[in-house]
Amino acid sequence: MDFKFTEEQELIRNNVREFCVKNVEPIAAEIDENSRHPAELFEKLSAGGWMGIPIPQEYGGAGADFLTSIIVVEELSRSCASTGFTISTHAGIVCTMIHLFGTEEQKNNYLTPMAEGRHLGAFALTEPGAGTDVMAVTTAAVLDGNDYVINGTKTFTSNGPTAGTYLVFAWTDKSAGRKGMSAFIVPREAPGFRVGEHFKKMGLRSSQTSELIFKDCRVPKNNLLGKEGAGLPMAMAGFDGGRIGIAAQCIGILQAALDESIRYSKERIQFGSPIARNQAIAWMIADMATDLSAARFLAYHAAWLKDQKLPFSKEAAMAKLYASEAAMRHTVKAVQIHGGYGYCKGAKVERLMRDAKITEIYEGTSEAMRMVISGTVLR
Amino acid sequence: MPTVIACFKWVIDEAYIRRSPSGDLDFSSVDYKIGEYDRNAIEEAVRLKETAGAKAIAVTVGMPEAAKGVKDALSRGIDEAYFIADSSFGNLDSSQTALILGEVIRNRIEQYDVILCGEGSSDLYAQQVGPRLAEQLGIPCISFVQKLSLAKDQLVAERRVEEGIEVITSPLPALVTVLPDINVPRIPGVKDTLMAGKKPTVKITKDDLPPLSEPLLRTISLTSSRLERSCERFGTDAAEIARFVGSLRKKGAIG
Repeated sequence: MDFKFTEEQELIRNNVREFCVKNVEPIAAEIDENSRHPAELFEKLSAGGWMGIPIPQEYGGAGADFLTSIIVVEELSRSCASTGFTISTHAGIVCTMIHLFGTEEQKNNYLTPMAEGRHLGAFALTEPGAGTDVMAVTTAAVLDGNDYVINGTKTFTSNGPTAGTYLVFAWTDKSAGRKGMSAFIVPREAPGFRVGEHFKKMGLRSSQTSELIFKDCRVPKNNLLGKEGAGLPMAMAGFDGGRIGIAAQCIGILQAALDESIRYSKERIQFGSPIARNQAIAWMIADMATDLSAARFLAYHAAWLKDQKLPFSKEAAMAKLYASEAAMRHTVKAVQIHGGYGYCKGAKVERLMRDAKITEIYEGTSEAMRMVISGTVLR
Repeated sequence: MPTVIACFKWVIDEAYIRRSPSGDLDFSSVDYKIGEYDRNAIEEAVRLKETAGAKAIAVTVGMPEAAKGVKDALSRGIDEAYFIADSSFGNLDSSQTALILGEVIRNRIEQYDVILCGEGSSDLYAQQVGPRLAEQLGIPCISFVQKLSLAKDQLVAERRVEEGIEVITSPLPALVTVLPDINVPRIPGVKDTLMAGKKPTVKITKDDLPPLSEPLLRTISLTSSRLERSCERFGTDAAEIARFVGSLRKKGAIG
């Protein structure tokens, strides 16, 4: 067994940390407050080649392994969970799915520009009536000559307002059940496609989220990803990787909560000594550090399995479930440690707590994760 | 095509050094990095590569673990590296480091135009290796440089000195020690780091070198500094000022 990162992975972690301290940390509170997409930051991330880390270099990526991309998401999320998530969904799901299932033409036309960071990708499955229950999707696509015509509405689409390429799931044959959904690559300029308003959210506020409206939206036949009817299995494959990305985001949040809690509890004097000397505080920090370690090992192990091309669905679900619940639990504690100061804007822990909540909900709720895990272990 | 050599040291990242309750320094969980000013030297070599078409070479002496530092330097745009490693090279003093660097540069790198060093290392900041190396090689040494350019057969350097800024020219080859203001070191992208290991690195061991000289410096002990504060009030008349001076003398603050 080997728990060591490669020298390259360690150097990349240090580099992304330095990048974050210089470029992300100083704007993180502002972009949260204003719910703003920091285009200037994403230009810098693109210039540094951080937008397509797990994608091969021939398609504009960095050609690193998946574990390396997880390290980057973790470090970005330590400074700004929105930024970490935006890249995770863009590279870890949308780019990865087109790389896995796309034709050479689709890779050249859509994957390369995204991996180079020229624009973002968005994954559009969820609908107003279809969350965990993906079969309740109503969006449908009909072949008409050389085009598919898509009608329907997607919601809670991350990167919706900012993306240039959308991966959209729609029924091509509802009667075929799980084998009746297909995935389409929809460019932003497709006729009949419209992006709705950006939702104002409790947390993860600089990540842009919106509805997508398809009204007789036409895309060329060649924009079908994979085969007709293969949409759901492909989406599940995308989710598996995405869930490790969410776990990495949670690890970043947890590390930040721990950093802040250690710093504050050593500085804050009550009853004549730093509050870190109080066992009640010290134990909260001990639990936080322990859960952070556990979440790390689950996530790194799942990423390692994926890199080894071994099955990793269950491990990805476990990593996502554990890391997200730990992030929520401990960011609440981090606010507690900070007392009144932690409840006010300007305290990083306040943002961390709001950002943590969504990780128990999106890309498979905690409940859905328990369904996946129990379904596997009880089989 | 001019050849520029950047020398660097792989040092302990001071952010990871802890102070144990007894006052000793705890190095048990430290990470390492390229010394801060040495990063400026590397960046300047790469900048000269980009602006003057130079070939950029990095040279380091250290423990075998510094291999990661060599990759780090290469990821910053250096073309090739000379890595002089031995497990006994952890605590070389400046005179020994300069001797080894001089030996390798003289015998292995046939032709060079500029050698860049950081003004001082991040750990000891003795500011010795640069000038000693120049002495070894018998070339001019220009220190405290905050701006550098290459012209035909000479370099132009801006030195920051106490009186102001001194602009000098020097024939080549020459050694330049750089200040942090000279540039902003780039942050390597993922691809740069992944490609670094594929660039040429010449490994040199202790056996390839003449016997090591005795160190001129001996480290007796290492402890963390302690800041002691005390507060005493004094008046402003002559007697009180005399008492104030006496008090400082007693505490050893003045001689």
